[in-house]
Amino acid sequence: MTVRVPKQTDEQPQRRADALAELQSTLARAGELLLSLEQSARRPGPGPTSVNELQDRLNDVVQDRDELSRRLAEYEQQTGRLMNLYVATYQLHATLDPGEVQSTIAEIATNLLGAERFALLFWNADGTQCEIALGQGLSQDSSGFYPAGKYAGGDPAVDATLTDGVLRMGPIDGSEAVAVVPLTVQGAVVGALVILKLFEHKAMLRSEDRELLDLLAAHAASALFAARVYHQTDRKLKTLESLIQLVKRG
Amino acid sequence: MPPRKVLIVDDSKLLHRMFEMMLRQYPLVHAYDGKEALERLGENGDVDLVLLDMNMPRMNGLELLEAMKADARFKKIPVVLVTTEGSEEQTQRGLEAGAAAYVKKPFRNEELIAVVQRLTGSAA
Repeated sequence: MTVRVPKQTDEQPQRRADALAELQSTLARAGELLLSLEQSARRPGPGPTSVNELQDRLNDVVQDRDELSRRLAEYEQQTGRLMNLYVATYQLHATLDPGEVQSTIAEIATNLLGAERFALLFWNADGTQCEIALGQGLSQDSSGFYPAGKYAGGDPAVDATLTDGVLRMGPIDGSEAVAVVPLTVQGAVVGALVILKLFEHKAMLRSEDRELLDLLAAHAASALFAARVYHQTDRKLKTLESLIQLVKRG
Repeated sequence: MPPRKVLIVDDSKLLHRMFEMMLRQYPLVHAYDGKEALERLGENGDVDLVLLDMNMPRMNGLELLEAMKADARFKKIPVVLVTTEGSEEQTQRGLEAGAAAYVKKPFRNEELIAVVQRLTGSAA
């Protein structure tokens, strides 16, 4: 739309000329306003297309939020698993008392893995007999593999792990074990942790438990070995000190 | 709101270490059996929550819970049983004795933290 504005002439009286100038200015402003409105009317408004775009963007935001929530939950679980591994490792190496190291192994088995019945086996000095260094719930074990503080042999999974040092998780044909964790020191198998039964509320070992079992295989035996060596050395040192005292008194 | 103080009662050093890592936002008090826990409660009048194991030497979790509920100073402190005793009977006994919640070991860390946050009214 356009607005026609009459031209000013010289012969018009001053008052009329002023009024005409004002009218011209007003009409010019009105023309600008109309032009602006025409341009606005030609621009696309918030029609169905824009609503769809907004809906799509909202859906994207919702999907991003859900993805972030899922990743946060995964991150929290991973952090929890790493924390358990850290605490287990820390505690295994926090003492040089063999009894305390054994207790820590038992606590990891019970509190972190959910083992209700288990046996910690170590080969004796001459490697002829596997002794039960620590056991829990073995009085209720009916397999007959663990009589009188010794492993009698015969469980195929335990026998295999004691031989080849490979971690095994059940179910395994012919075996009572839920998991058999090799205990190695400098590549030599010195024993095994045999998990025979889990608590009722823990149906099975989960994938994250595998990390803990690997940790036990790597750290438990070396921690216990170091503690035993320290204990023996300390005992010998004290014996020598006592002898020296006796000699001095004599 | 000031940080809420939590008393850990468990005979496992491993568990104490785990709780230290998990509940770093909270001031913690440690006890390794029920009798020691009663001493710690007497010394710390501002304990807001107790995480309690069931099987402990000297005084077990259930005995400590009963002792707390019989003492006017401690009976309002919420107690969470954290234990391997997973049977329904054990759960029921703990709840009847006045436990506010029951978490079975092994637990997922976020599960225990959620219970602590709920009972202390705090977000870690």
